[in-house]
Amino acid sequence: MKNLLLLVCATLIFTASSFSQKYFTKNGKVNFDATAPSSPEKIEGINRSVTCVVDAKTGNMQFAVLMKGFEFERALMEEHFNENYVESDKFPKAEFKGAIEGNEKVNYAREGTYTVKVKGKLTMHGETKDVETDGKLIIQGGKINATAEFIVPLSDFKVSIPGLVADKVSKTAKITVACALEPLKG
Amino acid sequence: MKWKKVIGYILLAVLLLSAVFAAYIYKEYNRTHEDTAAIRPDYSLTAVSLLKEFEMDEPASNKKYWDKVILVDGMVKDLAKDDRGRYSIILGDTASMSSVRCSMDSIHNNEVATVKKGNRLAMKGICTGFNADEMLGSDVILVRCAVYSKK
Repeated sequence: MKNLLLLVCATLIFTASSFSQKYFTKNGKVNFDATAPSSPEKIEGINRSVTCVVDAKTGNMQFAVLMKGFEFERALMEEHFNENYVESDKFPKAEFKGAIEGNEKVNYAREGTYTVKVKGKLTMHGETKDVETDGKLIIQGGKINATAEFIVPLSDFKVSIPGLVADKVSKTAKITVACALEPLKG
Repeated sequence: MKWKKVIGYILLAVLLLSAVFAAYIYKEYNRTHEDTAAIRPDYSLTAVSLLKEFEMDEPASNKKYWDKVILVDGMVKDLAKDDRGRYSIILGDTASMSSVRCSMDSIHNNEVATVKKGNRLAMKGICTGFNADEMLGSDVILVRCAVYSKK
């Protein structure tokens, strides 16, 4: 009887400590903002179909976005973005593969707001670079609101900005990720 | 004198051409996207068929469907709404993890407010490609979508 009790306790402790829940969304949002300080208008595209997965156990985080899905207000701006800057026909997808640093401090089972560091590799326009930034996880109602903002020099990703638009298009892009993640079933 | 007249006419022509050119540049610069609801679709097929094509040959399907207006017909598997109230309609076969995801155009967003899971729906949207994912299921993603008709 005592052995059975010990076995049950050990099993419970084991399953409690291996919180292997993954959270995901396919409706994540990424804002790509390359507005230069001297620009009279916003140079910003929004993608609303971002796929993101976070592994609560390991802290691994990934997101993927189709470049043609960035919507700009002006059609000409969107065409230039796709044809001249990110060349979406050649490089249709951008991805981030990394992890949440300090994941062990995040209690996914309890509601709360956590400031974390997100570090990993960003692949865009055929180039892969190490990136790191601060992120926020808001755990509420069994779901996670994950946000992070990456500042990336466009030259790192071989995106060239013609001199003609240098006063409008910034040399760095502000990539803001906002995902409302739900538990992945199965 | 005659040459003064000729110069006058040339200047007028240059002025007119410049005005036309400037108007064209201004129009082109400020051009907004065409309303998807008003554009004749380049292709018309079921969500399941569209997915099958991409699953069979992604590069060829990309070439065929990228940036094209597609009229896609299918069963509503799910609806998603973001923090700004923008809907995405997910079409496809419930037995498959893959879907055609239709991100609504802001001007047509409210057309799907009353759509329910299980409804059959025809949507028109611009194809942005295929997001292949073994774990989560691969999806064809359409943007600036509008409802074509409700059956």
